[in-house]
This record gives sequence, C-alpha cells and structure tokens, in this order.
Amino acid sequence: MEGKEIYRLERVCYNYGHQGVLPPLSALKDISFSIRHGEHVAVLGANGSGKSTLLKILNGLIFPMSGIVECLGGKVAEATLTGAFLRRFRERVGFVFSEPDAQLFCPTVGDEVAFGPLQLDLPKDEAERRVNELLNMLGIAALRDRPPYTLSAGEKKKVAIASVLAANPDVLLLDEPTNGLDPRTQVWLFELLRGLKELKKTFIIATHDLSLVEDLTDRVIVIAEGHEVAADGPRARYSETRTCYWPRI
Amino acid sequence: MAPVARLPDWFKEAKPDICLTGGRGSRRGFVEKTLANLESFLRDTLYGENASAKQGLLQGITPHVRIAGIIILVASSAMTANAAMLGFIVAVAAIITLASRVSFKTAAKRVAPSFVFTFILSLPVFFSFMTPGAEVFGAGGAGINGLRVSVTREGFFSAAFFLTRVTTAVWLASLVVETTTQGDFFKGMIRLPIPAFFVTALFMTFRYMFILVKIAEDAALARKSRVIRVAALSESQRWFASRATFMLKRSIALAQEVNMAMASRGFNGVVKVIDGKGMARGDFLWLGFTVFVVLLSIRF
Repeated sequence: MEGKEIYRLERVCYNYGHQGVLPPLSALKDISFSIRHGEHVAVLGANGSGKSTLLKILNGLIFPMSGIVECLGGKVAEATLTGAFLRRFRERVGFVFSEPDAQLFCPTVGDEVAFGPLQLDLPKDEAERRVNELLNMLGIAALRDRPPYTLSAGEKKKVAIASVLAANPDVLLLDEPTNGLDPRTQVWLFELLRGLKELKKTFIIATHDLSLVEDLTDRVIVIAEGHEVAADGPRARYSETRTCYWPRI
Repeated sequence: MAPVARLPDWFKEAKPDICLTGGRGSRRGFVEKTLANLESFLRDTLYGENASAKQGLLQGITPHVRIAGIIILVASSAMTANAAMLGFIVAVAAIITLASRVSFKTAAKRVAPSFVFTFILSLPVFFSFMTPGAEVFGAGGAGINGLRVSVTREGFFSAAFFLTRVTTAVWLASLVVETTTQGDFFKGMIRLPIPAFFVTALFMTFRYMFILVKIAEDAALARKSRVIRVAALSESQRWFASRATFMLKRSIALAQEVNMAMASRGFNGVVKVIDGKGMARGDFLWLGFTVFVVLLSIRF
C-alpha cells in the first residue's frame, strides 16, 4: 500500500458566493498535485489563501467548480460520493476542524468519540471499546461524561482528535491543529502526530505553525495569496530555502 | 528580519496621568444583563445536573424508561376529569420528588413561570360572565356597565382544576430535567419510538442555542469594553437589533460547519448512540405503575 497514490487533484478551482448575486470570490485556482500513502504534507499559506477550503474539498465536504479530485481510486464529486464509495471514503479519511466547537456536537465526550464508529455501523461493543481505549490513550477518560461545551480549548481539541481517530482513518486532514493550544498541549499533539507518523498514517496539515512543519512533515505545499500553488516540494528543500518561501506565505 | 510596522505619530503621544480610583463602578446595561441571565438560565437548564448525580428513585431507572413513565403520568394528568384522581397524581408527583431527592424549592422554581402564566390565562374562568353558577365572591351588585362581575363556585373549581392539571404536568416534566443528564436525556429520547428527525433537531437546537447566546453575550461585552458610559435602553436595543443580522449569519455559518463536521464522520440523517443497559426489574415496576395510573385516570 505504501507509495500508492491516495489523492490526485487536477486543475481544481473553487469560488465562494457562486450562487449569490455578488461576484464570486475565488478561493482556489488551478490546484494540481497528488499525494501518496504515507506522505506527511504541510499546506502553508497566508490567511484567506484557501487552505481550509482545500482540506474541505479533500474531505468531500464541498466540491470544486471545475477540475478533478480523485481519492482511493474514485472520483470525489457530488454525484459519485454515495453508497459504498462514500462509506469507504468516510472510513478512510478523517478531518479535524480548526474550530472544535463546530466539531463537538454530542451531549457528552463519550458520545462524541463514539459518533463516528456508530455512524459507520461498527458494532456497538467495538465502538465502546474504541471510546475507552482512545480516552485512556489521550488521558481524557475523566471527561467521558462531561458535555463538550464545558471543556477547555485544549481538552476540546483532544476530544475533536479522539472523535476522528475513533474511526481509525488512513488519511488525516488537520486544519490548523495547534491553533489556540497552550505549549503543553502542543507538545502532546506533536507526540501524537509523531506516533501516527510511525504507524504510516498519511496526514495533510494546513498550518501556520512552522515548527510543526519542521518536525512532522516531509513535503510542503505553499498556496499563494493568488490562491494557486506557489511551491510544492520536499520539506528539506523548504528548510534550506525557507527565505524564498516566506514572501509567498 | 521582518520590517517593523510604521506606527502613526498619535500613537507616541503620552496620556496625562489620571487617578484610577474614585469611580462608582459601572452598571450592566439592560441588554447585557438580559443576555447574561439568558445564558445562565440555559446553562442551568441544559447542563444543570443538580439531582442527577444523587441516588434516588428516578435516577435508578433507565433513562428511556424514566422518560416514557413521566410522559405516561403527564398524559394521565391531562386525561383525568376527576378531582380526586388529579389529587392522587399530585401526591404521586410529590412522592417521586421526595424519593428522587429533588428539592421542592427547585421544583417550585421550575413550575412557577407556567403557574403564573396559566393563572393569568384562566383568570376569566373564575367569573360569572364566563362560568355561570353560584356566586361565592362579589355578589351583591359589583358590575361594570351592567355586567355582573363575581366569582362563581363552578368557575373557581374549573380554574383551580385546570391550574392544578397544568402545574402537575410541568412538575412531572421538571423531574425528568432535574434527574437526567443532558446526555442521558437524548439517549433516552433516541431509544423511544419518536421520529429520528425530531430528536436530531432537538439535539442540535439545544447544543447551538447556547453557543449563539454566548456569541451575543461576547458581542455585548466587546461593545462594553469600548464605551465609557451605560448606554440608554433604546440605544442598546438599536445596537442589538443591528447585531441580529450578524448573529443570523454567524448561526448559518456555524450550522454549515456543524453539518460538514457531521457528514465528515459518516452522519446520514440518524443519530446513533451506544445503548445503555437493558431494562432491569425496577424499570418494569416503574412502567407498570405508570400504566396503572393512566388506566385509573381513564376509568375515573
């Protein structure tokens, strides 16, 4: 499986406001790249450059105006993302939103973590087992019966990550994962991602956190303010020549 | 090295020394106070788990059976036309309150608003122009424009019966709220034969109502941090009305994000949860008792 192509994007464009009366606002222009299994990719770019939009497209939550998105050998489009492919896609690709409040909608932390496995029709005892193991692994077992609203920002992020990991996805999409986290929780997140990296999970991280890029990724895609890919290459090259990327970010 | 931002000259002007003491403190404006109260009320309602952690009668019953039993008792109070039967249901509610270790004060707080509202609503029923009968108060000629205004015996009993019935129903419902955590409440609802759409809608409404009130409260605080006097009520109301559009947009954006987050984790329209324990002997006894009460209320 290693090295097998997971994503292929070809000339993907996305506009916001395309259905309204106001002129459409370009979010992504002519984006093309492919991602292989086991790659750890950082998506960098200024605020509003389209990083979050790109991750939503990769998760099949919104669909491009033009261009092709393929994942796991199937076309990710409104018409094709149904039935067995949809199920396989949701099992394999997990998305951690930048805003945990949008992601945590269940009455308790335990229900939140169980939500994904149950929606994917895993047996209830298996879902229960995963909830227990994940909460213990992430050190948040004591929060199990707490409503997510009452948690701190760091705890919410942990629960949001646990809720995605519960489905055991092969590909993790993380939108600004270190946003609003204190240094201790950031270290915790680094360790977790390092562990996932060792398990050969693929992850794509949209971030402004350059230490995360340095420590955990091996490829960098830079999206310029013009919403197109400005650079795409190994992280090592980016590290050597980061001054060349800076003005574009 | 990144260039340092060029700041305007007025940034460099020093402010004169001021005495930071002696003020009278600031009062909270009407809008801020209303939002803070609303938030606190929602917090108490949605997340208040006062008696749910205690050991008690209702707490020992599986959530969906507990809710079903209370619905049956509420139905009994709505169906009975017999004062003695209604009195029996009131006694049952009182015993459940005691046995579930819910304080009567808390129950009264929950019941009071509906009691007052129902009392106002049923006020005309007391009087002879709505309910003719034997006059017990105001007899002897009190009247407005020739219309006799007096409280009749029949009117008094009808209004009192209606008031007791509504109060009992709200009291019973408040017992579920007091003894059930939010999580258990929704799990219980999902296990009852209620269309999934309604439960999901209720579940989402509860969750996001709170966040939206919080956004409104934060907006009010952000405004407060930039004003130096308590705004007039009309000014605050105007400001709040202008923020309503912003709130609506925020709520739509939030709803879209939530929808995406749910879709991302495989949601297809039906919320699935890990079932709790199966029914125990106590659950059957509770259900049997409530069915017995409803049968009595049909009979009498």
